[in-house]
Amino acid sequence: MTETKQRNIFEKISKEEVEERLIEIFGSGNVTKKAGDLYPYSYDMTECEGHMPDFVVLPENNSQLVELVKFCNDKSIPIVPYISGNNVGGLTIPEKGGIIVDFGKKMNKILHIDENMMYALLEPGVTFGQLQKYLEQNYPHLRYSYPFAPPYAGVVGNAILSGMNNMSCKLGSMGDSINGLEVITADGSIARIGSCFYGKEKAANDSWWCRYPMPDLMGLFINWQGMTGLITKCAVQLWPNHPFKKTYLAVVFGLSAIAPVMREMGKTEVIDDISAVSTEVVKMAVEIPEPTKIEGEPDFAALFPISAKTENLLRAKKEILDLTIKHLKDQGIKVILIDVDEFSKIFNLRVRCYLDLPSVVLTLVEYSGLTWFGSYAPTHKLEELISKVYPIFLKYNVPPFIYMKIMKHSHYGIFRPIIRYKKFKDEETIHQLLDEITEVCINEGCIPYKTPVWMTEKMRKKINPGWLQLFDKIKQCMDPNNIFNPGRWNT
Amino acid sequence: MVEVDDSLLGKEFLELSFERCIKCSTCKYGYKTFDKICPSGEKFLFESYWASGRIRLIRGLLLGDLEWSDELKDPIFACPTCGACMDACQAPHADYIVDMIEALRELAVRQIGPADRQELLVSRCEENCNPYGEENSDNEELKKKYDLPDKAEWVYFIGCTSNYRQHSLRDATLRFLKKAGIDFTLIDEHCCTSPMIRTGQTSIVKDYMKYNIAQIEKAGASKVITSCAGCYRTLKRDFEKFGEQYDFEVFHSLELVKQLLDEGKIKFNSSYDKTVTYHDPCHLGRHMGIYELPREVYKQIPGLKFVEMRRNRNFAWCCGAGGGVKIGYPDWSVEISKERLEEANETGATVLSSVCPFCRTNLSDATSKYDFEIQVLDLMEIIDQLDIEILK
Repeated sequence: MTETKQRNIFEKISKEEVEERLIEIFGSGNVTKKAGDLYPYSYDMTECEGHMPDFVVLPENNSQLVELVKFCNDKSIPIVPYISGNNVGGLTIPEKGGIIVDFGKKMNKILHIDENMMYALLEPGVTFGQLQKYLEQNYPHLRYSYPFAPPYAGVVGNAILSGMNNMSCKLGSMGDSINGLEVITADGSIARIGSCFYGKEKAANDSWWCRYPMPDLMGLFINWQGMTGLITKCAVQLWPNHPFKKTYLAVVFGLSAIAPVMREMGKTEVIDDISAVSTEVVKMAVEIPEPTKIEGEPDFAALFPISAKTENLLRAKKEILDLTIKHLKDQGIKVILIDVDEFSKIFNLRVRCYLDLPSVVLTLVEYSGLTWFGSYAPTHKLEELISKVYPIFLKYNVPPFIYMKIMKHSHYGIFRPIIRYKKFKDEETIHQLLDEITEVCINEGCIPYKTPVWMTEKMRKKINPGWLQLFDKIKQCMDPNNIFNPGRWNT
Repeated sequence: MVEVDDSLLGKEFLELSFERCIKCSTCKYGYKTFDKICPSGEKFLFESYWASGRIRLIRGLLLGDLEWSDELKDPIFACPTCGACMDACQAPHADYIVDMIEALRELAVRQIGPADRQELLVSRCEENCNPYGEENSDNEELKKKYDLPDKAEWVYFIGCTSNYRQHSLRDATLRFLKKAGIDFTLIDEHCCTSPMIRTGQTSIVKDYMKYNIAQIEKAGASKVITSCAGCYRTLKRDFEKFGEQYDFEVFHSLELVKQLLDEGKIKFNSSYDKTVTYHDPCHLGRHMGIYELPREVYKQIPGLKFVEMRRNRNFAWCCGAGGGVKIGYPDWSVEISKERLEEANETGATVLSSVCPFCRTNLSDATSKYDFEIQVLDLMEIIDQLDIEILK
């Protein structure tokens, strides 16, 4: 399981010489090649096959990274960026061995918060929990958007991989919220992208305010899974932290009736986030040991957090929600809107971790494995997706955990079947289940994000040749020696 | 899959590593506080030095993906097993993380031996029944000095650190027990075995447990009191874990102080006019869940101004002495204490107090090494400075 897929990465230089150079660059305490140290980096919670890295390094600054990139480019040694390794896609598994660059331990500083233009300038290792605490303590009037993920997921990783958070109904993909990037490219040069691009040497902290209107070079790095360069700084937008907040829960009967409910509620433009889960997920959340749906129970539940600067505005937003629900009921959809505070009192407080993000979704971490088919989805296909994917879960006798989101006021959606499992026991079966789900969803037009290699292999068969040629040309141009996270997207 | 010998005491905890842990990193920082809590991870930084990384090491070794070598010693043994990861982790295996690490150490000791110098804990015990290598004290002199009977209701289990390194704490406890009129005696102790259990060196553990139980029974005691958080955890929890049964009750000295205060049997008649902050010993706090009791006692001392450190209770920063770190990694051990002393200084306290001789030792060593002015004292040493009125 952990053998490195060979290309021989030590063709041009011996492993001992590589170690010597790495110690020169980073210092001996920040470099390891010990098997025990490498092993925890060799696999993740998903079904993706594990591979050992050859080294792990802990960078502190850009000059070290410039030296590293120049050296690796010269010697054709793979570099794999790592923050906390808890993505659900095998993204930090070193497919071809090489050097893991662990940003999470020393390059994790919040460099600047700009109150006027509302953005945070971050090093790659900053986590959601860290940013949230920093804002709460120092800028309580500002907030970031937090994911349905552990607090120690990286903010920058989430943004550059188009993650979605708890303001996604307003904002869409978090990739859209990036103001600027600093990157080290294959020849070791440092480029700043966005409004921070003025200035020969350094950019002022208050210059990271926008990514437009120059040619948008961010596209060379966003969603590339570290295949085109090392990102060393990232500016992400912040938003006002409104004092008045309320969350409502819609309970919906009928397997696919949730789809129009989500779409119509999204179009109201008053909701911060819309996330819907199958009843089985709700049961898991309140810690029912066998989370299966019983006949007559609702099929889906959706959360609608709203926020406002004044109480009156919050009330007006609630009025719009009520009107939309009434309209849906008039169309024959069986839907009930509940105040989440009341719901959580009925069950137990653990359900609140769904609202109090970033938070550990406790029941998801009960097993040794977790995986999903996480995808951007056309919202008009949600009905079909639910009705086709739900029975696949049942066929494998796995609880159908389906999680969906509406993005940017219903312009697009997220469809994400989730599976928790025992990694060392059920991995093969779970991989088969996920494979079937992937086949169905891709055929319906879903586009997986944070995509594992086995999934991009499937996608490549369906993507138009022109796109693939352009993609390969850009990769070749940006990374001629294929040192940046090689193997991702089957490169 | 590598076969694990059935005689391994922690076998079931090793197997648990396959059922749980997705390496979500929640174990690394204070839950919801996001504070640094893990001395091992913060020092060495690579994933193998955090709880989730160690769980991965167990898997790797049992799956045969990793081979045993001396290189594994640091990730396995460079951890004070303070248990902060247990309080941070929210998964169902959280309470067993230290058990898993100790089981990994037990397995490692059989394959590659303990960390450097940790083997002294056993060899010294084999010679003198204590891990400090001091000539064994049968405590007869102390019994004479304090006029103690051979049989009594209580046994004061002094513990090796108090008996061989922290005499001031030992003597303060003895004086308190006398002043309070407790019917107690001492036994010819063997080490409680905490250092061996914590470092995976279990060869003498059961014999020593049996010996100590027999000594306590011989003294006719129905209650055992100890002023050491490590002994307390071991007597109260590990004896049962290792299958050793006994009929006496186990108390920490602070529990007795609190009980006597609550029952109105003692009263402090003088004041202690200093600002004191409290360091939660891992073995009493995170391992045994006792956080409020010591605080309540400090707050009942007249004149004492009690202040909290930023990280306290279940996310208190460890002193760095436990888990074999003091003997195996002595320099790093006091480095850990240095961070705690800096935090204590921030409170404005002039006294840093705890209820564990091992914490006291390490925190004191760090004050000397790094020139801190704050005084390190055990609660019993503070109480020893007070006029105590026996009310009965």
